[in-house]
Amino acid sequence: MSDRTVFRPGMTPAEIIRKVRALPGVAITSTGMRDAGQSDFKNRLRIHDQATLAPHYDRMNLFSAEVHGGARWHVGILNRRESPFEETAILRERMPSVLLQTLIRETSLWGYRPYPRNVIEYVVSKVDIDVWRCFSFLNDVRNMRTICEVVMERGLLFEPAVSFTQADWATNDYYLGVVDDMVDLCGGVEEVVLCIKDMAGVGSPERIRELVDAILQKYPEAVVQYHRHSTDGLALPALLAAAQAGAKLLDAQEDSLTRFYGQAPILSLHAYLEEAGIPVLLNRPEAEAAVQKARDWVRQYGWAESPFKGFDHNVVQHRMPGGAFPSSFEQAERGGFLHLMPQILQVMSLYNRIVHYFDVTPGSQMTWVTCSGTVNRYAKEFGLTGVNRLIALLKKFTEEVDQDLDRLAPEEREELMEFFVTAPGDFKNLILGGYGRLPAGWPADWVYQSAFGDQWQENLARRIGDSPLDALEDEDLDGLREDLAAKLGWHPSEEEFILFLMHPKDTVEMIEFREEYGESSIVLPTNVWHSGLPRPGDKVDFQMRDKPHTVEMVSVGDEYDGYVPVVLRINNQAKVFTVETPRVVKAEIRMAKATNEVGSPITGSVWRMGNPKRGDIAVGDIVHEGEEIANIEAMKMENVIAAPINGRIAEICIGLNEPVIENQLLFVLEEDGG
Amino acid sequence: MKKIERLLVANRGVSAVRVMHTCRDRKIPTTAVYSTPDRLGHHVVMADRAVHIGEAPPAESYLNMENVLRAAFETGSDAIHPGWGFLAENGDFAQMVQDEGLIWVGPPPGVIRSMGDKAHARQMAQRAGVPTIPGRENVTTSEEALDWIRKAGIEYPIMIKAASGGGGRGLVRVDRAKDLEQALSQASSEAEKAFGSGTLILEKFIQNARHIEVQILGDQHGNVVHLYERECSIQRRNQKVIEESPSPSLSEDLRQEICGKAVALMREIDYQSAGTVEFIFDQSAGSYYFLEVNTRLQVEHGLTELTTGYDLVGLMLDVAEGKPLGFSQDDVKPNRWAMEVRLNAEDPETFGPSFGTITRLRTPDGPNLRIATGVYHGASVPPYYDSLLMLIMSAGHNREDALNVMDRALGRSLRVEGVKTLKPLLMSIIRHPAFRAGDFSTRFIDDNLQDLVKAFREPSTEDELLKIAKYLAEVSALGPRSWI
Repeated sequence: MSDRTVFRPGMTPAEIIRKVRALPGVAITSTGMRDAGQSDFKNRLRIHDQATLAPHYDRMNLFSAEVHGGARWHVGILNRRESPFEETAILRERMPSVLLQTLIRETSLWGYRPYPRNVIEYVVSKVDIDVWRCFSFLNDVRNMRTICEVVMERGLLFEPAVSFTQADWATNDYYLGVVDDMVDLCGGVEEVVLCIKDMAGVGSPERIRELVDAILQKYPEAVVQYHRHSTDGLALPALLAAAQAGAKLLDAQEDSLTRFYGQAPILSLHAYLEEAGIPVLLNRPEAEAAVQKARDWVRQYGWAESPFKGFDHNVVQHRMPGGAFPSSFEQAERGGFLHLMPQILQVMSLYNRIVHYFDVTPGSQMTWVTCSGTVNRYAKEFGLTGVNRLIALLKKFTEEVDQDLDRLAPEEREELMEFFVTAPGDFKNLILGGYGRLPAGWPADWVYQSAFGDQWQENLARRIGDSPLDALEDEDLDGLREDLAAKLGWHPSEEEFILFLMHPKDTVEMIEFREEYGESSIVLPTNVWHSGLPRPGDKVDFQMRDKPHTVEMVSVGDEYDGYVPVVLRINNQAKVFTVETPRVVKAEIRMAKATNEVGSPITGSVWRMGNPKRGDIAVGDIVHEGEEIANIEAMKMENVIAAPINGRIAEICIGLNEPVIENQLLFVLEEDGG
Repeated sequence: MKKIERLLVANRGVSAVRVMHTCRDRKIPTTAVYSTPDRLGHHVVMADRAVHIGEAPPAESYLNMENVLRAAFETGSDAIHPGWGFLAENGDFAQMVQDEGLIWVGPPPGVIRSMGDKAHARQMAQRAGVPTIPGRENVTTSEEALDWIRKAGIEYPIMIKAASGGGGRGLVRVDRAKDLEQALSQASSEAEKAFGSGTLILEKFIQNARHIEVQILGDQHGNVVHLYERECSIQRRNQKVIEESPSPSLSEDLRQEICGKAVALMREIDYQSAGTVEFIFDQSAGSYYFLEVNTRLQVEHGLTELTTGYDLVGLMLDVAEGKPLGFSQDDVKPNRWAMEVRLNAEDPETFGPSFGTITRLRTPDGPNLRIATGVYHGASVPPYYDSLLMLIMSAGHNREDALNVMDRALGRSLRVEGVKTLKPLLMSIIRHPAFRAGDFSTRFIDDNLQDLVKAFREPSTEDELLKIAKYLAEVSALGPRSWI
């Protein structure tokens, strides 16, 4: 190949940084396989399809490919039923010369709660990724220490990211303070990339130009990357401004995957920058081929696209991050309150003037739950008029009276004090310092009063400002591993265990799914994965375990008793499946639970009721403790069922010659005289 | 000499199917009998004609002698083969068959009766010079039992057996004096129920015993030969699950001696047809004791067929027709090692029976395998009968070869879904180092259960493909999954 790939796995961080500095222009991180799919397709783009881009990526001369982390991890487990480890392995094989990049949260990693040091060390040391982009939703750089240490010790590239927003408090001085902390943490700028993470897409081109310039004035040797979503419609000019100010690395995605909230289209970015005189390191024909390749499969994802179409310049007010857009709208659609979205976004834009942090995981979830919950509560109690009253109140509070409670009317004050009453536990933990320091100081006292009620002062006294890394106790990894082994019934692999550490319940469900449905989620084409083979004659050819397979639909029969018979031809052999619908009414087998309930010790059949001495047994009969009241035969062996107490037969739940299963209820006794 | 024109097989499942195979070889038309839940059973499918003989409980169908005989008359069957189990060791039934002028494919009724009486059998064994276990016959009360234990100076454990039992049923082991009474009543009741007589035998229990049996064939002309031994020590709840031939625990001298003793006993009782003399072998002492005579074809007879090449069912038909055996002891030359596992529909850990519909059945194939199945894909396994689904036999030049073939059959080929089977346990046993070394006794499963129940996860591409097909079936029928 003429233009040999410049950045390759195995290079030392210092070597990578030297090569970036030597670039005449910029290089690109492709987010096509991670953030792009998150922002417009709810993370549903499957590795089956994404892997088809890999051979092009391998020759595209990218800086890196973000293929891992963020919410792709969780959605993989929950919805795509693919493990991030499988994905990385597939991509390593198909694009061995591309730096694989992840997005990781500083203490909650790829999960949703802060982890102690030993869990972070364990997980980060075992994941096969070259570039570690790490952010804190509080810009609390102290929280990045453990990840930073493990990544740098492994000789991999660490990329601390400044969470960016545009607000009166978010000044250059503020950001330079954050960058100073990062430079301190990493021992200089020789071996790291500094990233500005504009996850909502709110940075105006001139604001971005200023900020990049300010950072490079202070740290002229630094390599700066600008990561930006397109939500406000101004991505391309903002990216150009960043490049002109000296940013060397920019994020982009396939034009054919571009919708509204993801990254800028790669071919457009290439053309726009080159026209402006900034050379872009990119094998354009391969990039074009990848764009074209994505068109082959992206139309199969109509069902996964965000229901909220079009750019939204008002994002500069509500600041919902691109990655949260489609999932929030999906939740609103499922919850039946899609019509309230304009009001929710408005409340968000006012809310974030009261409590300052960055709307990105886990902060975006707290904002979403608090604001959508409150709006829904108002809508139910007072209708749309009530919601509008709330918005007017918040507006007045933040815009007219400078957040001075005393300047509100008493009834307004009372209403405002209700605002955080239903806030989630995570929010309460946040304002008590459980996640670290807030970027622009703690919220006002009334927020605590609202959230904690009468106990607000006791709670406030517990507020800490330490990093969770220092505050959290190490967890018992061996014990957790045993928990998982008990749930699965076998000893988990290292990878299964790491999945479990991040998402315990969903991981067990995914593993159970894979036990039952095998590699369906990996090998089936997307339309078939989504909708099956709906019509007779539909068939699917696929490759699994290095061999070809074909499954063809013969027929889906009519439902009977809640079951649907399905006939498939599997590699030419017909097989009938009896599919259970939710309408199946299962004969309920009662199990013995209480001490006065007699269960069968074994699966077998009832061959004798009562005993030979007394004969048959009936309701109302008095029995004595230890007396045989029935006999179960299993495997030609007799099993005496003895009365556990002195008492009276209250109920007989089985009949002679009936099959019973283990612990099935046979008799209910009532205590004598009872 | 009578010729069998149509044979009724008074049995079901693997046993009936086995007999019908030889009938097909010989172009003898067959009649099946079936109970209500067996209406579409494998043996019914295989037979040329089939007659309903009653409801599910065995007493109303497969043990209902009148109905079985009526079925024979209705279909013009002139002979009855009882298979194993049910009426196979019922001398009264054999007598009825003969009294009605039909051919009974089995030993004479008198021989069945005399060997069915365990006390009498012990006496016959002693008369023939076969060692027997110290014991006491005709026990009915616990006083009698205690009296014998004290006078004979017997140490626990002791074994209680049904005098008319067999096949491991009606056996109760007693470890302590205080359990004796309860054990006696349980054994008596089980014996009464299973064999129609509650009479018991008490015997000293031989610890770490191995179970060895000798296959015998006799004809109506006084010829009695043996077809060498089988070892059946791998048992759970006194029921055999893995058998092999030859026995890995006998020296050549001892082997000849035991086989010779078995022939002596069977000559003494003028045995005809196929039968088995069972022994308990105390390996540490190098001594063996007579256990019982099984006056029928045994489940594990196929091992002997594999090692010797003879068709035992065919020979039973010949003998029943009055033909001489046609070969002598010197002609019997086993030249292979054979293993058998019993694939029962049971939970492999608790041994609780499992029943339902066989939703997938993949039977092993390839060199050196013999499969005898009583079910087919889609068949139902009713809860009323023996849990045997399939016999899998492997053969090889030596024991290791036979074990490797068995490993292939169980691990790579056999698949049964819809009911639980013993497969995981069987796999664990044939891969267990002690078993592979030939170092085991009848307690092997009990002693190693913890080790053995570790589940094997050995998925094949075919299994994985079926999982994908299952997903496709569900999505196609129900639409996109809610979580997708």
